[in-house]
Amino acid sequence: MNYLRHILSDRLWSLIIKEVQQILHNKQIIFLLLFPPTVQLLIFGLALNPAVTHLSLGVVDYSRSADSRALVSALVENQVFQVQTYESRQGDLENQVRTGQVTAGLVIPPDFSQSLARHQPAHVQVLIDGVDANTAGIAQGYMKQIIQRHTQTLNAGQRLPVETEVIFLYNPGLLSSWFFVPGVIGVVLTLTGSLVSSTTVIREKDVGTLEQLLMTPAAGWEILAAKIAPLFVLLMGDVLLASAIGRVIFGLPFRGNYGLFLLLSALYVLVCIGIGILLATLANNQQQVVLISFFFNVPLIQLSGAIAPIESMPPFFRALSFFDPLRHYVQIARSLILKDVGVEALWIHILALSVFAVLFLGVSINRFRTQLS
Amino acid sequence: MPMKRVISQCLKELMQFQRDRITVALALVLPLAVMLIYGYAIRLESKNIPISIQDFDNSFLSRTYVERIVATNQFVPTPLLRGDPTLSIDWGRAKATLVIPPNFSQSILTQTPVTVQVLVDGTDVNNARVIQNGIRAATQFFLSSSHLLPDRPQIQIVADVRLWFNPGRDEALYIVPGIFGVILWVFPSMLAAIAMVREKEEGTIVQIYASDLSATEWLLGKELAYFMVGVGEAILAFSVAAVLFGIRVRGDPTTLLVGTGIFLAAAVAFGLLVGARAGNQTGAVQGTAIAGFLTALLLSGFIYRIENIPMPLSLLSNVIPARYFILITRDAFVRGTGWSGIGVAPGAIALMGGLFFFGAIRTLRRMQFSD
Repeated sequence: MNYLRHILSDRLWSLIIKEVQQILHNKQIIFLLLFPPTVQLLIFGLALNPAVTHLSLGVVDYSRSADSRALVSALVENQVFQVQTYESRQGDLENQVRTGQVTAGLVIPPDFSQSLARHQPAHVQVLIDGVDANTAGIAQGYMKQIIQRHTQTLNAGQRLPVETEVIFLYNPGLLSSWFFVPGVIGVVLTLTGSLVSSTTVIREKDVGTLEQLLMTPAAGWEILAAKIAPLFVLLMGDVLLASAIGRVIFGLPFRGNYGLFLLLSALYVLVCIGIGILLATLANNQQQVVLISFFFNVPLIQLSGAIAPIESMPPFFRALSFFDPLRHYVQIARSLILKDVGVEALWIHILALSVFAVLFLGVSINRFRTQLS
Repeated sequence: MPMKRVISQCLKELMQFQRDRITVALALVLPLAVMLIYGYAIRLESKNIPISIQDFDNSFLSRTYVERIVATNQFVPTPLLRGDPTLSIDWGRAKATLVIPPNFSQSILTQTPVTVQVLVDGTDVNNARVIQNGIRAATQFFLSSSHLLPDRPQIQIVADVRLWFNPGRDEALYIVPGIFGVILWVFPSMLAAIAMVREKEEGTIVQIYASDLSATEWLLGKELAYFMVGVGEAILAFSVAAVLFGIRVRGDPTTLLVGTGIFLAAAVAFGLLVGARAGNQTGAVQGTAIAGFLTALLLSGFIYRIENIPMPLSLLSNVIPARYFILITRDAFVRGTGWSGIGVAPGAIALMGGLFFFGAIRTLRRMQFSD
């Protein structure tokens, strides 16, 4: 009971009120809390799209027959490819692929129609711009599939002995924003959280008002608790803002329990505040905070799977990503927003996040206290 | 002699820069660290995708089929949870479940078409498509290797596919030239912005007001100094990439030299503009640095195709200088078509750099510089 009275002491409250006033006076922090998260969510939710559609296709049709035209229209039918130019010479087409004006080129030989009629294998040449290795691979796969299906239709709708029926769960339209927005919510929290908390702490260090606070009877933990509490509330505001944008603009389904989502976001916000304070204790001035935060945030974001899938990373980095708190939050956010799952599926990530929260807050508070004394 | 004054301002700036050891270390180590992380960790093509299999048939044919699917390094089998095909996907243990119906082998033997169902985790959009293509290709391979295809289809079209520039589909060849566009934009501009803000925070800018140095001379000195720091970073980045990733210039190197020069100058000018406008708030600089970083990363076509950015935003990507520089680096390191392949890119970067520098001068003119 004594402890509780202590926590709710007047001194802590007046410290918290001082922090809140300081933050409210600081237009810059309010700006940082509202503007970048909104813009980042909108831009990256809309801009990140790994889809391989509307690839520009250049065609050289030496055959000029009904068969060759049927092949081309089969290729453009489901919009993976889009005919951009018809060239009359193969050299011109090759030049366009070389300079990147078209992504793929199709050369249909003069004897195409005759070969089909004689039931001989009719070869067509496909050139693909391989600079973007991933797109090239997918384009190659599509090209083969489409040609194969077209062949089947030509053979009077003959069916294959085994057919595959693919069902996409949770996101049947494969909307890319549904994949990216939950991840970007995590990225936004990481950047804003660590930025805002490191700036508030280092400012006090820079200006020297920290020493003044130390003169007061307030204990080190009270000073920090008073700093963390309003930041926590403000960053939770960012969580609400981000989920509102996700819901209204991107139509995210939020299938899981929203209370659980808020609770786990709160846990992650604590991790971010811990990172921010840690950055502030590592740096001597604001300039260094800017640079050191890059050192932390770049790997944090990159290994989290928010932007590029974790499955495609080399094994070493895949293992490393387990030590990335953002990875666990992104996984939690995606699961709770898109799938209807609960704690039973997420416990390992919740456990990891709790460990990180305790670790980062503990280490940073400890460093902060030793730097104070 | 204004030129002389610019140079001495530049030398003063460089001396000041190298005195702060931590900043120097970070300025050189950070770009390399970013390059290593991106160069090794960003891969888009998924391998070893966990897939669980529910085989109701459990016959010789169905087991051969499953073997075919996991024989490629694209899929690894993972156990089914509680006999529920969707549970392992729900829990994130598997990305897909393949359901083989009980009549699988019987249907094949009696030549009635049979359908296998593939449940795919659609939350991961990129992987979902890869899984769809992978399963279909493996199924096709299973059919042809087990001689189950109908005897000799009457009509056959064969596509002879050639991948240009990168036949082995080495993803580093795509990613690493893009990294140059990110790090050579972010770090020179950030250092210039920090230097600018520091001058205001520490009040040393007042001394410049008192001297007879004009705003343009002062800015040109800073521009030159951080341009040289940027050149150092560029040389370091290109050499490390050559050693670690085997990325070398193909064909005409002049596009890369000229392009890098213009790009670095534009980056520094951007940093000076941000620093001039930011008041004395480092937080604002940090915010801008992050914004600059994210736009250079995500709106430049570094990871995903630039054509996929929808309409109003695609206009924004047109004014991201990194986008044009990545065009130049990909041409220099991968395509090798030289000046004909990069079009207006150097001009676009130069135009934007000029605007940034002009903006910085205009901002400073409003302060108390001598004319």
